[in-house]
Amino acid sequence: MSISPSLKLTRRHFFSNSATGIGLAALSGLLANDLGAAEGQAGRPGLPHFTPKDKRVIYLFQSGGPSQMDLFDHKAALGDQRGDELPDSVRGGQRLTGMTAAQASFPVAPSRFSFARHGQSGQEFSELIPHIASISDKISVIRSMHTEQINHDPAITFLQTGHQLAGRPSLGSWLSYGLGSESSSLPAFVVMVSLGSTGQPLYSRLWGSGFLPTRYQGVKFRAGREPVLYLNDPDGFTRDDRRHFLDGVSALNRVHMGEFGDPEIENRIAQYEMAYRMQASVPELTDIGSEPDHIFELYGPDSRKPGSYASNCLLARRLVERGVRCVQLFHRGWDHHNSLPNRLGRMCAETDQASAALVKDLEQRGMLDDTLVVWGGEFGRTVYCQGKLTAEDYGRDHHPRCFSLWMAGGGVRGGVTYGATDDYSYNIAEDPVSVHDLHATVLHLLGVDHKQLTFKYQGRHFRLTDVHGEIVRAVLA
Amino acid sequence: MPQLILAALALFVLGLGAPPAAAAVDFHAAVRPILSDRCFTCHGPDEATRMSALRLDTEEGAFAPLPSGGAAIVRGQPEQSELIRRIEAQDPAQRMPPAAFGHAPLSPQEIEVLRQWVSEGAQWSGHWAFAVPQPPSDDLSQSDAWIRNPLDRFILANLREHTMEPSAPASKPTLLRRVTHDLTGLPPMPKEVSDFLADDSSFAYERVVERLLASPRFGERMAFRWLDAARYADTNGYQNDRPRDMWRWRDWVIDAFNANMSFDQFTVEQLAGDLLPEPSLSQLVATGFNRNHRGNAENGTDPDEYQVEYAVDRLETTATVWLGLTMGCARCHDHKYDPISQKEFYQFYAYFNNVSDRGRYYKYGNTPPVVHAPTLEQQAELDAFDDRIGHQESKLTGLGPEIAEAMATEDLPKELDDWVHADRLVAIRSFDEAGDAPDGVRGRAARLDGSRYFDLGNIANFDFYDPFTLSAWIRPEAGTGGVVARYKADGPKGYGLFLVDGKLQLRIDTSSISDRTRVESVDPIPLGRWTHVAGTYDGTRNTDGMSLYVNGRRVEVKSLIDESLNSTKIGEPLRIGYGPGPDDRFRGLLDDVRVYSRRLSDEQLAVVAVPETAAEIARLPQDRRTPAQERKLRWAFLEDAAPSHLARPWKDLRSLRLERENFVASLPTVMVMEERADVRPTHILFRGTFDAPRERVEPGLPAALPPMPSGHPNNRLGLARWLTDPTHPLVSRVTVNRFWQMLFGRGIVSTVEDFGSQGAAPSHPALLDWLAAEFVRGDWDVKRLIRTIVTSATYRQSSKVSSEALERDPENLHWGRAPRHRLAAESIRDQALAVAGVLSSELGGPSVKPYQPGGLWKELSNWGAYEHDHGDKLYRRSLYTYWKRTLGPPSMLAFDAAPRETCVVREVRTNTPIQALNLMNDPTYVEAARLFAERMVREGGDTDEERLGYGFLVAASRMPEDAESDILLSSLNRYRDRYETTPADAASLLSAGEHARDETLEAPELAAYTAVASMLLNLDETITRE
Repeated sequence: MSISPSLKLTRRHFFSNSATGIGLAALSGLLANDLGAAEGQAGRPGLPHFTPKDKRVIYLFQSGGPSQMDLFDHKAALGDQRGDELPDSVRGGQRLTGMTAAQASFPVAPSRFSFARHGQSGQEFSELIPHIASISDKISVIRSMHTEQINHDPAITFLQTGHQLAGRPSLGSWLSYGLGSESSSLPAFVVMVSLGSTGQPLYSRLWGSGFLPTRYQGVKFRAGREPVLYLNDPDGFTRDDRRHFLDGVSALNRVHMGEFGDPEIENRIAQYEMAYRMQASVPELTDIGSEPDHIFELYGPDSRKPGSYASNCLLARRLVERGVRCVQLFHRGWDHHNSLPNRLGRMCAETDQASAALVKDLEQRGMLDDTLVVWGGEFGRTVYCQGKLTAEDYGRDHHPRCFSLWMAGGGVRGGVTYGATDDYSYNIAEDPVSVHDLHATVLHLLGVDHKQLTFKYQGRHFRLTDVHGEIVRAVLA
Repeated sequence: MPQLILAALALFVLGLGAPPAAAAVDFHAAVRPILSDRCFTCHGPDEATRMSALRLDTEEGAFAPLPSGGAAIVRGQPEQSELIRRIEAQDPAQRMPPAAFGHAPLSPQEIEVLRQWVSEGAQWSGHWAFAVPQPPSDDLSQSDAWIRNPLDRFILANLREHTMEPSAPASKPTLLRRVTHDLTGLPPMPKEVSDFLADDSSFAYERVVERLLASPRFGERMAFRWLDAARYADTNGYQNDRPRDMWRWRDWVIDAFNANMSFDQFTVEQLAGDLLPEPSLSQLVATGFNRNHRGNAENGTDPDEYQVEYAVDRLETTATVWLGLTMGCARCHDHKYDPISQKEFYQFYAYFNNVSDRGRYYKYGNTPPVVHAPTLEQQAELDAFDDRIGHQESKLTGLGPEIAEAMATEDLPKELDDWVHADRLVAIRSFDEAGDAPDGVRGRAARLDGSRYFDLGNIANFDFYDPFTLSAWIRPEAGTGGVVARYKADGPKGYGLFLVDGKLQLRIDTSSISDRTRVESVDPIPLGRWTHVAGTYDGTRNTDGMSLYVNGRRVEVKSLIDESLNSTKIGEPLRIGYGPGPDDRFRGLLDDVRVYSRRLSDEQLAVVAVPETAAEIARLPQDRRTPAQERKLRWAFLEDAAPSHLARPWKDLRSLRLERENFVASLPTVMVMEERADVRPTHILFRGTFDAPRERVEPGLPAALPPMPSGHPNNRLGLARWLTDPTHPLVSRVTVNRFWQMLFGRGIVSTVEDFGSQGAAPSHPALLDWLAAEFVRGDWDVKRLIRTIVTSATYRQSSKVSSEALERDPENLHWGRAPRHRLAAESIRDQALAVAGVLSSELGGPSVKPYQPGGLWKELSNWGAYEHDHGDKLYRRSLYTYWKRTLGPPSMLAFDAAPRETCVVREVRTNTPIQALNLMNDPTYVEAARLFAERMVREGGDTDEERLGYGFLVAASRMPEDAESDILLSSLNRYRDRYETTPADAASLLSAGEHARDETLEAPELAAYTAVASMLLNLDETITRE
């Protein structure tokens, strides 16, 4: 029940007025919006800290750890070294997962896929991602991402919340807390998980609000009849029935308000009205039937399948069009310990076209100027083979020491490859970018000084970037 | 000067600016918080980040001469005080806190507070929470008709300081509803309302309080928030987040509250019940408290890393719950605000670092150490087994001489030659007729040449939680080869008994090299000689549950790997002579191969290893028989040759023992605390990371807190005793404050989790100390504490607020009215079920799965499809709802339930549209509305007005006002018209949920009432404690 000071004033002001005889009902419509806005829709005072480059962010999370050296981090010279033992000097006695630590040898598995340069910028991409390659000049590729965590749960939690253990707010929750929403009928932070994708599990803490109030948590949209849990009225209960219901409940609540005088009752009425608006706005949003054919063609055939990654990319655009601050997509299945070439190919087929289409679609609507798109996973994969290495087949274990990620949008330089790894895509050779640095950069693009967006909890002023985080200026336009 | 303190405090808490000149600034309430929040980071307890010699967290530091001359604080001389000069400096380069580090300057109000404090002589004292509570003497006693018990004096004094008065008492229905919800988490039923209204005696309310305190629902209600604090859940909390069983610990909590276990006992048993002398089962179960933390089972997890996380979690949880300290802040560096160094953190951590658990938790089920924790009914059944077994045993003992005589004199039949121990024998191959080798242990034997094996088909299909025994006579010619196994040798998976490089191995493997359980004999098995070998496994998924036997004797084993996490079941048949590697088949002779689907005892294994037949043993002179031979003969005789009056008791005993074994395996277990036999050394961890150990430390307490009282052991038990020492400054305050929060929505210290420097100052310090001292004086009696609070005049006030009062005290910081706040997530659902008349009154038991939208688990994880329960289990109280930690029940989380990933003690309430959608549309509430509607029609009376009035009474515990009745009636009529014209819609609306519908009621009529019932369930008043 923490209420912003401005709201308190408003309520008190309202209350004293109403008590002196101004009609409750007459004021309530006005007030409902006001309260609705204050209760979780508005951001913190003083935010954004400076003029933002981007008003919103779409984070395309590729869960499981996409293999950087099969997609973005080309190592042509490794072609001759198939099966050679990874030099100890490269491995440097670093930590491995328990899954390969006991392996007798660490043979180099060069990528099976060919790379080419694309666009005027000539960035290199694997043959598996031709569509992403086609937006080469619009995106910044960071090859020098690194993380502290080697297993999925802590690594994905770290990437989402800035800390490997549970309990901290997610990136989207921070944004929703700090910046609020521009929509009065949709949540500020929406999450979508590709339907039918399998692989490493996900957890609600990844979009949870941690120690921030619950209202800042991501709202998960689901494919199918009911995009938001409990959105639909029961069978046999029409919109008209619901309208009447709300009028009755509000009237009863106001009678009680007259007796008890608690402003929280007005807030309750406002929240029910917001719910009512969501019941209309969400189905309108998720009904993509009105999109023209050429849009479906842009996103690929999967985009007509509800719940697919492609369909979610299209929905992401519709969400940000309607003022949602942060949209996060999760696509599972990038954890390729074995049969990597085949499985990676399948993942790319599911995600490549739609990821690129989203950037193109935003651009053609003029929204790429103020929308940030980020694509990436929680860590990379080892150059050495896990399991049996053959000419056609190999697997790769988790690798926290380097991975690749790309971003596009307002304030992001297009056509840039930033950072470099060593000859084995094992260690970072130039310009390391930590998870905290990434967070600082994302916040910066949204007009937030990552050191100033804090929340006091357990006596500490917590922030997303803990005590770290350097903005990656080189990728900024 | 309590009045002055309170006055200054209140002004600052209210944010009304500088105090009037008359009031002295209070150091605790006003000054220290500024120093802590704005200065301690660089001038506080953390030596590593202290920016100069100046420290402002201690009196010596704050008044010491500065190297630059002068002093930061000169008493009474703000102009001479460097601190004042620096915070007021206009030049950003001079000003503190330094702008260069991104710190904002102090506000004018903050500067004014510090200035005035220095002017007034800069009174200094240590942090209030570290001093023993000083119950105020009785000179506070003002007499006032309003006061019902001493706590009211503190509230009244504070109100009067601020020229406020308490509110009128709440109406009887409101008070009854409030106290019933607060103490049981449920609304009062109409009969309870009418009884209370009818009771005009002066003790009517006290009678209600006693009834509620005695209700079993009380323990459930108290458990709501304790489960949050204890991060209770039904799953492990990492990655695929699979199940565990801690509900017997939850039962313990409910029972403890209901039995009014004193809080010190409650503390000691949960933190260190295992270390009490001869702990009872219940005391062991209690220690589940600190096993409720998450456990990581992800493949590839480094066990050492998570061992650290578990110990840290236990420390942080214990520190939060009992000390109200954020000790976790000192994991990586000295605490920035509180006097806890990094070294002290690890000394405290050492108390929790000596548990014999493992870093990698099991993916399924409880991870050791565990105990079987039968319920009362199960314990009775177990006792009955033991009685019956004891009875049979003594009967057999009594028959001893007769059996011995019969064995000696009976002409033993030839069939005795064929006797084998056959309890749960799944497979046996003796090769007596068909063996290739003539020289078996008995008869012929099988000869294998390293290429062949015997296929026994699809039997003995054990998984990693099934017990089994494998045994055989072998005469190996090579050091490596399979004995008996269901095993895939290429990319190994399955189980089996093998020879590997001369040693005997028992394996339970998955194909992942990090996911196996294996033991190996320390001594080799001789080649070219007949040896009986056996391996047993108890299904506990760890090497402690594996034994190896050579010639009937248990031998010393080495644990090779102890990490079974996944199912090991495979399609391969049971084979003899197969594995361990694809080219490692058995070479040599094999005989008498057996597989049992249970773990044989040492005694039974010894009998299995006896090569002589019973008849042969019978021919040996008695004094030349080994005990195993003697036993074999006796068992064979009793089973196959004895007259029935001798055979019968033996047969009964055997089947009783097997039944008991099955029964024990079915008992619930609970994870518990257990000290390791050897001490796990504790080191300071550089930056808190597990692989950077530094200086070794021993268990110890932070110097800023009282020392361990003499006579207590320096271990967890000592720690628990130290916490519950009557003179501990924090524990009693922190505890009463949490109960206050439960009853008033906010603590006297609003930061219930943080009584440190950065925490909020108590709004009513004297009240807090009085409650704390009373709590300890009353032997930590929880019900007494709650009784004291809920019978106070303060508690009984109305929560109605006038616009003036709202203006004066919008946040109700002075408690001049009762708080009004939304019910807890659990209560919202429980109330709906109670109102619907279907709430189950069953107490305790395993978690249940009520309605949840389909597919929620599946779409995020690879374990478990949520299938909701049926019947009564759909209507149990919400504290029994199955809690999957990474994806908690959505309708609980929507109403601000703690996610249970880590300890949470602060109660939070938000107000969101998601909550509205949940209450309107969740089938739980649509079904409840329908059942509630049936109740209104059935029980409410004959007219709409009566029925609606009754419904209002059931939902809100009072009769509606006329205006309210009018709204309800007009809604009812509107829905009645609507559903009478569209009966199909009525049927649809009534179809929610599995509970049978009352078919005697017309669908349109019931649907109309259902709509109105749903309105009642959605009223702000209904979901609010007021």
